[in-house]
Amino acid sequence: MVAKKRFATPFIIWIIAGTVIPLASIAYYGFTSREGGFTFANILAMFQHDHMQALGLSLLLAVISTVICLVMAFPMAMILRESKWGKQGFLIFVIILPMWMNFLLRTMAWQVLLERQGVINALITAVGLPRQELMNTPGAIVLGMVYDFLPFMILPIYNTVSKIDNHLIEAAYDLGASKTMTYARVIIPLTVPGIVSGVTMVFIPALTTFVISNMLGGGKINLIGNIIEQEFTVNSNWYLGSGLSLVMMVFIIASMLLLQKFDKTGGQNLI
Amino acid sequence: MGELIRLEHIVKSFDDTMVLNGIDLSVAENEFVTLLGPSGCGKTTTLRIIGGFEKPDEGRVWFDGKDITDLPANQRLLNTVFQNYALFPHMTVGENIAFGLRVKNKPEQYIKDKIKYALKLVNLDGFQNRQIDQMSGGQQQRIAMARAIVNEPRVLLLDEPLGALDLKLRQEMQYELVRLKKELGITFLYITHDQEEALTMSDKVVVMNEGYIQQQGTPEQIYDEPVNAFVADFIGDSNIIDGTMIAEKVVRIDGKDYPCIDGTEQGFPPRSRVDVVIRPEDIDIVPYGQGQWNGTIISKLFIGVHYEMLVQSEDGKVEWLLQNYDQHDVGEKIGMKVDPENIQIMQKPKSEAESAIELDL
Amino acid sequence: MKKTLGRIYVLLIMLFLYLPILTLIVLSFNDAKSMSVWTGFSLHWYAELFQSRLMMGAIVNTFSIAILAAIIATVVGTMAVIGMSAMKPRQENTLMAFNNIPMLNADIVTGIALMLFFLMVSWPRGYMSILFSHTTFCIPYVILSVRPRLNKNTDRLFEAALDLGASEKYAFRKIVIPELKPGIMTGFLLSFTMSVDDFIITYFTRGAGINTISTLIYSEVKIGIRPSLFALSTIIFVVALVVLITVNVHQSRADKALSAA
Repeated sequence: MVAKKRFATPFIIWIIAGTVIPLASIAYYGFTSREGGFTFANILAMFQHDHMQALGLSLLLAVISTVICLVMAFPMAMILRESKWGKQGFLIFVIILPMWMNFLLRTMAWQVLLERQGVINALITAVGLPRQELMNTPGAIVLGMVYDFLPFMILPIYNTVSKIDNHLIEAAYDLGASKTMTYARVIIPLTVPGIVSGVTMVFIPALTTFVISNMLGGGKINLIGNIIEQEFTVNSNWYLGSGLSLVMMVFIIASMLLLQKFDKTGGQNLI
Repeated sequence: MGELIRLEHIVKSFDDTMVLNGIDLSVAENEFVTLLGPSGCGKTTTLRIIGGFEKPDEGRVWFDGKDITDLPANQRLLNTVFQNYALFPHMTVGENIAFGLRVKNKPEQYIKDKIKYALKLVNLDGFQNRQIDQMSGGQQQRIAMARAIVNEPRVLLLDEPLGALDLKLRQEMQYELVRLKKELGITFLYITHDQEEALTMSDKVVVMNEGYIQQQGTPEQIYDEPVNAFVADFIGDSNIIDGTMIAEKVVRIDGKDYPCIDGTEQGFPPRSRVDVVIRPEDIDIVPYGQGQWNGTIISKLFIGVHYEMLVQSEDGKVEWLLQNYDQHDVGEKIGMKVDPENIQIMQKPKSEAESAIELDL
Repeated sequence: MKKTLGRIYVLLIMLFLYLPILTLIVLSFNDAKSMSVWTGFSLHWYAELFQSRLMMGAIVNTFSIAILAAIIATVVGTMAVIGMSAMKPRQENTLMAFNNIPMLNADIVTGIALMLFFLMVSWPRGYMSILFSHTTFCIPYVILSVRPRLNKNTDRLFEAALDLGASEKYAFRKIVIPELKPGIMTGFLLSFTMSVDDFIITYFTRGAGINTISTLIYSEVKIGIRPSLFALSTIIFVVALVVLITVNVHQSRADKALSAA
């Protein structure tokens, strides 16, 4: 086609202004001291006890909620695959609808449920049990993550699972495989691309969140996202904040590369 | 040859649509049986019931004297070559072939030997480490065969295995399949809508339409003595004309009466309405006025060895299809002659739809 | 048995997804501020919501930014797809790699990076900086929706139009754009929803004194949850429900018309 290359010019400018320079400025601040000299201090600050603890907890909670989402999503995707057409549309609708609710409001809903004066405690005390401290716990944060991100796990897995040719599953049975073996050797391996994109879409926001931990952790539980956010909004130490962001980026890139290894299609299913 | 598979009055419907209307079928040990029919005739459903992928609504499936109607697919001693091959895309050629053996926990050395043997058998020696998507359609077809046969099934079910291949490859594979069957000495149950495939390879052809078996027999029987107009029409080209038996062994076709060799004994008493089938190659061209019919050639097509012509009969009611080695011109007036033994008298087809139409008449 | 288990499972997931939302909806009609005691039906939280000038301002900001960002992103993204089709594969792949960065990067990093950019070039943070940032993360979605529609076939159609005597401009308007249209629509709608839904990037790139729905909710929740937020949740839920049902009904009608033809 006689398409003109120059049509892409606004896009290229936008990439430079919106992506390249901003990322470069993170790198600049990350390697600069408050006094303006070059330094590794902002990067190495990640090894401080508080920061390591926050990063460790972030990784732990993100892994736990990703695994829970995966375990909950896979059967749902299989059920969706096997349900009849009309019902399938309805079920997907049911899963998509909560995603349209503002995610802060969805997180707030759990605050309302879990709080000391909240709905669940009201139910607990109504049957004569002592009030429970449900909020401000790592468990509450995991719950919030799972609730917010579950649809992002279900949809990509369903997407790949629904494309598996039924004949492949029949072929496995035909060759003598049991149900378990058909899952282990045919269905799950073929679902890997969907699992990889689902895991990416849950793990990265879970690892980097500061909103969920703020709202359900009551500011008492610090994740790496909270630390970085506070450097920018409270302490106004952009240098340290940028340095920690860079380290976090490395973690994200590393985990994505690790995930891509499982996915031979090279991330085609990411969206 | 003993009986290996028997279907007893299999009935199956999907969402209120009758797919199989009581199928009875017997397949002998070491036989090459082909289910032949147009799409939607129920042949694939029949195969899937034997394979264990569908449960019949009524009727039983017997295998080697045992009732296997309720046995799941993974416990049946037969294997399927699927229409689109259904090769596992995430495994290599070798892993695909090994699948059935691995799930049965066979020793690795045994599996290795088997893969080698199977690949040699299908002429793909040394391809075990290739990825599936690197293989051509014909190669994938062979891999699907290899994957099935390493399990040493008593019966191989083949669901239009050559359907996706081009003509030349299809003809090559036909010979290949017959050779494989001979080498393996097992039973083949083959599905196709291609009559040529069915006639060249099979020991027995089962013609199906609208959920009924229309006719079964050797390829020769099916071709030479079709039992009704559907079979005749489906197997090769035919002139199928409405006729009436007007006296013992006399049939009225196109307004004229002709002697034929079928009568009350064969189930065609006088005054019964019948289909008359005449193969185009059985009509001789004779000078005008000297045959049984007269007509005008309205079109002519050279199709390789012979000419195919359409002739409009003088009474104007029937268009005849003729095949002849001699050239005649369009517009030429000719006479046509058919020997009595080439006039096939047949029952109207077995199908609810068509019998309903007949009642309306 | 297997079916029953499946149904129970679906039911449990649905309860998990909807009980929290349902709680908010019920509490939005509660007379008292309490989150656990029902004291009677009332609509005054809705009244409070609509009387809040802050909230009304935030709603206007959210939707005007979303519409503008989606329009700009759709235009820039679609032009980029056409422009890239004229490039060598290596150039195109490089651009696509950059295009994927905002999608794969964590929102917090994108937000911080943009914030530092605005500070460095002394771009005052406010409405325009939010709009710029939203457009930045919307463009990749447009490109990924539109690009698959432009392929060899579009080339051939374009050439066929020229062969039949159309001018390049005419062929472009009558052939190429209609071919890309479904992708453009998807890209636009995706951009709009991503923008409405965004909190993190807005949070870092907004200035003081400007709010979108998300940032306003966040600051209010920090002070203490007021039931007017429950009223807001109910309204958003109902609007989403109506929009999604309309789209679905429309789509299934279109599908039916298509399969009937």
